[in-house]
Amino acid sequence: MAIHDTDLSSENLDEEAHTLSDVYSFLSLTMRYPNPEFLDRQFLETYVLLLKSLGWQEEAEQIQLLIFSSESCLDELQLEYTRLFINAIPKSTVPPYASVYMDGDGTLQGKTTEKIHDFYRNCGFDIADSSEPPDHIQHQLEFLAAIVKEKRFDEEEQFVKTLFRPWFKRFKEQVLREARQDYYIVSIQLIDFFTKEEQ
Amino acid sequence: MAIHLSRRSFLKTASIAAASVPLSKVVAKAESDVVKAPLVPPGSFKDTQTVVGGVCEMCFWRCQLVGKVRDGRLVKIEGNPKSIDNGVSICARGNAGVKMLYDPDRLKYPMKNVGKRGEPKWQRITWEEALDTCAEKLKGIVEEHGPEALAIFPHGASASYPFHFFEHTVGTPNVSEASFFQCRGIRDMAYVATIEKPPGENVDMPNTKVLFLIGGHFGENVHVSHLKRYLKGLENGAKLIVVDPRFSASASKADVWVPIRPGTDTAMLLAIMNYLIENELYDADFVDEYGEGFEEFAEGIKEWTLAKAAIECDIPVAQIKQVAEMLAENAPNVAIHPGRHVSWYGNDFQRQRALACLTGLLGAFGVKGGFVPPKGPKGLKKVSWPHGEHEADRLTEYSDNPYTFSPPGTPTDLIRDAAITGKPYPIKGCVVWGQNPIQTIPNQEKTIQMLQQMDFVMCTDIQPTDITMFADILLPECSYLERYDYIKTGTQWNFADEHQQYIAPRMPLVEPGFERKDGIWITNEIAKRMGYGEHIPVKDQVEMVNYRLSGVGLSLDKIREEGGIHLQPGVDPYGVDEDLTIHFYNEDLEDEDYPPIPTYIPVDRAPAGYMRLLYGRSPLHTFNRTQNNAWLMAANDSNPVWVNDKVAEALGLQDGDTVKLINQDGVESRTTTTVKVTPGIRKDAVYMYHGFGSRNPELTIGHNKGVDDTSLITRLAVDPETGCHGMRNNFVKLVKVS
Repeated sequence: MAIHDTDLSSENLDEEAHTLSDVYSFLSLTMRYPNPEFLDRQFLETYVLLLKSLGWQEEAEQIQLLIFSSESCLDELQLEYTRLFINAIPKSTVPPYASVYMDGDGTLQGKTTEKIHDFYRNCGFDIADSSEPPDHIQHQLEFLAAIVKEKRFDEEEQFVKTLFRPWFKRFKEQVLREARQDYYIVSIQLIDFFTKEEQ
Repeated sequence: MAIHLSRRSFLKTASIAAASVPLSKVVAKAESDVVKAPLVPPGSFKDTQTVVGGVCEMCFWRCQLVGKVRDGRLVKIEGNPKSIDNGVSICARGNAGVKMLYDPDRLKYPMKNVGKRGEPKWQRITWEEALDTCAEKLKGIVEEHGPEALAIFPHGASASYPFHFFEHTVGTPNVSEASFFQCRGIRDMAYVATIEKPPGENVDMPNTKVLFLIGGHFGENVHVSHLKRYLKGLENGAKLIVVDPRFSASASKADVWVPIRPGTDTAMLLAIMNYLIENELYDADFVDEYGEGFEEFAEGIKEWTLAKAAIECDIPVAQIKQVAEMLAENAPNVAIHPGRHVSWYGNDFQRQRALACLTGLLGAFGVKGGFVPPKGPKGLKKVSWPHGEHEADRLTEYSDNPYTFSPPGTPTDLIRDAAITGKPYPIKGCVVWGQNPIQTIPNQEKTIQMLQQMDFVMCTDIQPTDITMFADILLPECSYLERYDYIKTGTQWNFADEHQQYIAPRMPLVEPGFERKDGIWITNEIAKRMGYGEHIPVKDQVEMVNYRLSGVGLSLDKIREEGGIHLQPGVDPYGVDEDLTIHFYNEDLEDEDYPPIPTYIPVDRAPAGYMRLLYGRSPLHTFNRTQNNAWLMAANDSNPVWVNDKVAEALGLQDGDTVKLINQDGVESRTTTTVKVTPGIRKDAVYMYHGFGSRNPELTIGHNKGVDDTSLITRLAVDPETGCHGMRNNFVKLVKVS
């Protein structure tokens, strides 16, 4: 917390936490099964805006293209999500669960799932009524959004370092290899940017 | 250190301001699944709960289980200590149920295929869309062509409720269960034609003096309480006779191993029976009292001398004589095992009839060590879909052979041929529920042809098996660890122990994951949408099981309190049923122009350069069902082909060589396997485990591991009485790859 205490006024810190929390929430949505309740024109325009504000010009243009083809965009993203993260032929599925990468024989609901779930609860959070296990990438990003919103940056860092990055690095490589839609390539790179350790 | 500099510098830049407001707006549209909850201090103790009521279905023996569950997560499966069947023992597959439950490749959400059948491109859809589509398509097919236009391929406990809906209420007779038409249907129907009831595997092995097996390879075939009976019998000094072209695990424990020529078992059985009759070594009093048509039978099998059988079966006369005498000396306390998977050569009804007759000749019904059906609990209620008014138009009415002794349903090939040719009527809708017809039904090309001409194909399964590649809509079902359905009943495993009965309804050990649903829910939702809502017999799975249990004054809650298994005093199973009639000669068979007495029908022998393809079980797998299981595949991930050592030498093959297989029709295996060189198999046959070599890449562990033996079974054999397949009449040669 030292940096925040000395470098930033509390107002700035509030704003920064708020924005970062929204960014995490946004990233979690990119890892959620695309449905029209959230994935609409406004969502994609915001995505473009976010990328532009980062200076990711090329990526912004890639997402911009999706807006122009918005008729078929949702269908295509659903197909790509299913292919990448649920079931696919050929062997291109990249399961978005920490335990698959961390627990030896590629299982769901492994020890890592339990550790991650415990971390949420030890911080005063839990998963409400989800069909997905607690270590689904979507939930991990939602948790980060929730904890950052409360400016609990130490816990954020601990979580990212010990429970998120170790599997995400392997997940990222596989997604970048298997993904055919720029949307997922950009999203994974963006998640990487917001969670990677400072060089 | 908290926020990384790169990220921090971004968050502090002015440019973020432009994005921050829209960001807040879009993220507000979707609710987070992570919510505030009471703080749980780190290191809080989490107890492991023992959850009772599990009933295994890694195979279909259905051992009773408990689950060790921590924080909603199943961490270990054990035998239920209260069980008087499997007891605390479960097999490797039972243990590995955890890996099935949490296999990332399992089906999680309903999906539609926007690609081609066989080359699917999946899109996750809502249950609403999936159910609406299934109902609309199936209803449309029934309206256009009649209910017969639906073909149903079910398997397993959860498939009963849906297939009865389609069969009884919608009205299609075109149901083909693999457990009947590609497995034990022949056995059941042959025993019905001989002793008027299906036999199960009801021989009193623990207390027998001689156990006689044809093809049974216990130890490789692991059904826990069955194996306990077998091993107790051996421990108690039973003699073991094993008839098998291969030196199986059972053969290795046998007193007599009969390495018979494949396909000729009935000839041997007839010779044994003829020998017993001619030498008056059979139980004449018993036959007098319970037999029908003995004279015709005895007369009809006279030609089967030991010498004739010895030539046909390629075994010594002395060995057949030894077997016959061993059985006679120990009669009636001998166990003539009826077998289980018996769809071998297309002449199997006759062999099964012969086994039942041999049991009768030896007087081995109802006696210690003989054929003794357990007396299990009675009184469970039945839940069934009402029969509609539609009178089914059966394909057997159009067939040259009426398959009068067919097990329930319609012979698979009649359905498949009708679908392919459109004659005598079209079959345009297909419902596959828990079965994998690609790896159960011989001649995959024809099965695929059948599927390709359908207007609609719906599959329900727990995992992406080969058949699911051909689905238009694919529905994810709860596994046996996540649902209620079957009620397992029975008695203590050894009749020598105190007589007890048990009732064990399957209960879930954990909540279903993802959007998996149970078969009752899925069926009811489809039924409602097809317009059969008023016929729904039960509203959900719990109601169904409770209704059934109400017949014996029990409920799920009560049995859960009792530890998942209800025990009650049992009944002595010994004694001959006074209604027992053994039809040595069966008039109904005569009336239908089938052989009225057990008759040997020869099958083709291997052409020069080829060997008969035999298959069987791995102790670590239940055929294809377990092919993606991480633990089981770590222990056994291929199916080496057994080749006789002399043959291997002549072919220049060495143990461990990699080969592909080519059958008599020129069909090549898609994958390769290794050679196991052994003196423990006849020269005219090769052997491998069935169920390997999955073609579906979605099974990331099981895909292309070993060779798919079913792909090489292209030549069809159909048992004339039952319409069931014979699947050991194909021949292969081996081609060395490396």
